[in-house]
Amino acid sequence: MTKVHVYKREWLLFLPLFGLLIFVMIFPTFYTFLLSFSRFSLLGNKLVLSGLKNYSSLINDEEFWVSLKNSVLFTGITVPFELVLGLFLALWLNRQFRGKYLVRAALLLPWAIPTALNAVVWRWMYNTDYGIFNDLLLRVGLIRAGINWLGQIPLAMISMMIVAIWKTSSFMALILLAGLQSIPNEVYEAALIDGSTKWTTFKSITLPLLKPAILVSLLFRTMDAFRSFDLPFNLTQGGPVNSTETLSLYAYKVSFQFLKFDYAASVIIVQFAILLVLSILYLRFLEVEL
Amino acid sequence: MKNKRLLIINSVKTLFVNLLLILVFFFPVVWIFLTSLKTQSEIYAFPISYWPRKITLENYHLVLRGSGFSRYLINSLIVSLGTTLLVVLLAFLGAYFFARTKLKGRKPLLLFVLMISMFPPIAVAPPLFIFFRKVGLINNYLGLILAHSGLFSPIAVWILTNFLKSVPFELEDAAKVDGCGVLGIIKNVILPLSLPGLAATFLIVFVFSWCEFLLSLVLLNQNELRTAVVGIALYPGEYAFPWELISTATFLALLPIIFFVFVFQRLIIGGLTAGAIK
Repeated sequence: MTKVHVYKREWLLFLPLFGLLIFVMIFPTFYTFLLSFSRFSLLGNKLVLSGLKNYSSLINDEEFWVSLKNSVLFTGITVPFELVLGLFLALWLNRQFRGKYLVRAALLLPWAIPTALNAVVWRWMYNTDYGIFNDLLLRVGLIRAGINWLGQIPLAMISMMIVAIWKTSSFMALILLAGLQSIPNEVYEAALIDGSTKWTTFKSITLPLLKPAILVSLLFRTMDAFRSFDLPFNLTQGGPVNSTETLSLYAYKVSFQFLKFDYAASVIIVQFAILLVLSILYLRFLEVEL
Repeated sequence: MKNKRLLIINSVKTLFVNLLLILVFFFPVVWIFLTSLKTQSEIYAFPISYWPRKITLENYHLVLRGSGFSRYLINSLIVSLGTTLLVVLLAFLGAYFFARTKLKGRKPLLLFVLMISMFPPIAVAPPLFIFFRKVGLINNYLGLILAHSGLFSPIAVWILTNFLKSVPFELEDAAKVDGCGVLGIIKNVILPLSLPGLAATFLIVFVFSWCEFLLSLVLLNQNELRTAVVGIALYPGEYAFPWELISTATFLALLPIIFFVFVFQRLIIGGLTAGAIK
């Protein structure tokens, strides 16, 4: 890495990618920003600036606040669960044993399954009459009649959280596992010689050295959970009575069902602003290692 | 003697926990597979049966022959392959730039590219719908391929930049002395050495594109053009819930992904974690 190495027009290599990003990511996001300060109708395709009108309507929009609350609740509860479960899984896998290959594949599989189809499958497993969960509980004798998992108010959200935790704690585990494997063995050997117990080794060596991986996976997951759309759309459609409607789902409904692109844009920009703060934090942590 | 017993207890414990983990994480896929082998009457029987009483491949026959489902799978294949090829090409060039350039703005620019991957897809969905409608890219594979490429190329750049940084400069200099231009160096030196990185990127982008829902829903909204994930997910809403067909189609849509996970898990995990920590 020490040699000076000069190509004169190397930036040309970046140009095609940059063009694509401008065309489908940066400009559209900027346009959404513009829309949020405008009046717009899809028929006329005309954009008229209207100041803060969309944003001021948000204040009295109960559904907006409910979806914001749901997104925060969903993120705030699933992510810590995923972290703890993921940490246990990673510690479990960070040892030598046979069949590791299969277990790691088992962890990777939930990540690779499309969330939308995952939701479809779980919707079937949650089914009141034909679902496997109710059947198992009935057989064991814990319940007398099938539970309507996705149709009652706090339960639907809890059921949705369970699906999310199932899908992503394993992915969290993989990132944490990579972090664990980057800790040199000598550190542990030294601790062993010092007679340190399992718990103190974990607390004073593993945890501090794992901190970067924990931060990265935490923020990564937080942002993903906060913009989740596929899961509520396919599991509950946001119901019952908007109790599982997330910000992304609400913005989708306002734009593509009510065709109020301008108003939806203000919802999106609020969400975007929250995500931006999170991503700046994320990049701060990353920058240390860049 | 005591040690040996402890060893046995320990390996039994390990085996038990591992089996439990595999069961928990595989379960939905196994369940959907078992369901796909059942007849319709068995699926709606009460109480439900776990193991199919009579295994039938009739559902696969129905799904693959002529039904809309096979169309969905083909659409997904076109979009995912198109996206993957475009992303690997553009991201490779971009990553090479990031791994080698000495330009001052390199770091902030790379951070900016990475930040784009954190944009929520809903932020670009309405404008893309509006623009693409004007230029005829709605219900056009190319439109979705471009959108997916924008969505997933930042992560590809990130993974590939990390890979390319590990290819030594000296090799390139040697090639340069031999009179290779930039393209020649890429072709003869970099490309062969970064194949694992390219393969990992290919797999990861393919999986992402195959799984993507929101933009696929919005940009290809004509029924025959829907991708597998969207088509299957929306299917129940349109008719009376043909669950045996839906689970069969779902399992088929999961198959390429299951295949990738089992065959290439080391590559995928390597790529993902190179992107996430490092």
